[in-house]
Amino acid sequence: MSSEEAKEYALPPEVLEETIRASEELWKPVRKIKFRIYKYNPRKDYAPHWEEHELEVSRGMTVLDALLVIKGEMDHSLGVRYSCRMGLCGSCAMMINGKQMLACQTRVLEAAGDGDVVELRPLDNFPVERDLAADFTSFFEKHKAVKPWIIRNDEVELNNPTGPYKQTVDEYARYYQFTDCIKCGACLSACPTAATDYEYLGPQALAQAYRYMVDTRDDGLDVRIPIVDSEHGCWRCHFAASCSDVCPRGVDPAQGIQLLKKLLIKRKFGFKPHKPAEALPAKVKAERKE
Amino acid sequence: MEAESEFKEYYAKNMRGISGWFKARAYTIERWLYAAHRITGILIVLFVLAHFYSTGWHPGLWWDALLGIIVTFHTANGIRLILAELGFAVGKPLLVKKPSQRPVSIEGVQRYLVVFALVLFFVLAAIWAYYALVVQPMMG
Repeated sequence: MSSEEAKEYALPPEVLEETIRASEELWKPVRKIKFRIYKYNPRKDYAPHWEEHELEVSRGMTVLDALLVIKGEMDHSLGVRYSCRMGLCGSCAMMINGKQMLACQTRVLEAAGDGDVVELRPLDNFPVERDLAADFTSFFEKHKAVKPWIIRNDEVELNNPTGPYKQTVDEYARYYQFTDCIKCGACLSACPTAATDYEYLGPQALAQAYRYMVDTRDDGLDVRIPIVDSEHGCWRCHFAASCSDVCPRGVDPAQGIQLLKKLLIKRKFGFKPHKPAEALPAKVKAERKE
Repeated sequence: MEAESEFKEYYAKNMRGISGWFKARAYTIERWLYAAHRITGILIVLFVLAHFYSTGWHPGLWWDALLGIIVTFHTANGIRLILAELGFAVGKPLLVKKPSQRPVSIEGVQRYLVVFALVLFFVLAAIWAYYALVVQPMMG
């Protein structure tokens, strides 16, 4: 690009100035917020205790930003799990003022509201790993229990694939919403059933079971039914809908579980949602290439 | 020593227990209805036990009206739950989501069901209370 062209594409100076001013405004400290942080190491401590730190926060500061400042400058022993800082990995879910949220997607001032205290706890109904980090072992086991993968019976096709499996947009729309799950654990933590039933599969696993059961490429409906139609399966859900309320990705697990119940009842009457999709023959593939 | 390990396990497990059923403050109205449905269900079971012991027994004037509130709430909310849990009012999965998508199962048709259940509850409870407080004392 020549300098002439670069000038053409550059922002006008007044717009550039306004942009810089707005961004400076966003990061200027505006209020002092008190952070109450849950401190507990189950291997060492007898009981948890709370620690308080005061911090000047700006409008754009997220809770995770604040936690990293606290960890860097005030309390190096703080245990917090995070990875991507942009709501994609689901590592930093925690209780922020009593509600499950992603620390990286919640701004401090938004969480504090009119008050000036932000209370941080590890996720409810999860064992504590250390401080704000929860132990996800059982959560992942529950996810694995519903067989979250495509189950097929045509071994010949699987070993020697002749083409991709057929799927229309309508069929894709049946399960797409549930594929957005990032396994942050907020839904299981918010679930009132999970508060007393430790073995309850939970909204995440059940929504994923539904996601695979209605996927037309899948042929594992009858394999998964004994798993979800069990004592700790989908009939334990009583539609408090908190899982959907707290989901940071709009997955709506409550909807998945209710649709799963509908599917199970229909299956009892002999209905099957779909035949397993056939592979597109190689001929079609070759034609498309041309 | 055993008490100490139990104490430690309590905090390490971090399970809310029964208090988790009633922790509704941060969530939507469905969670309040869930908590109320639990409480009324337990109270109905307690009343039914007394009722089995002596079918003629009733708690009395104002308590009768309270019993009406408990039973009619459980009925009205139960109708909503039957419809929602059989997948009739929770909407369809989305193909396109807004950046801050609110769940369809909560804020779609289901919200009308909530309003319907609450209206039904008030109407039934009013009829029951009228019967318990006005009609029954008149009949003696």
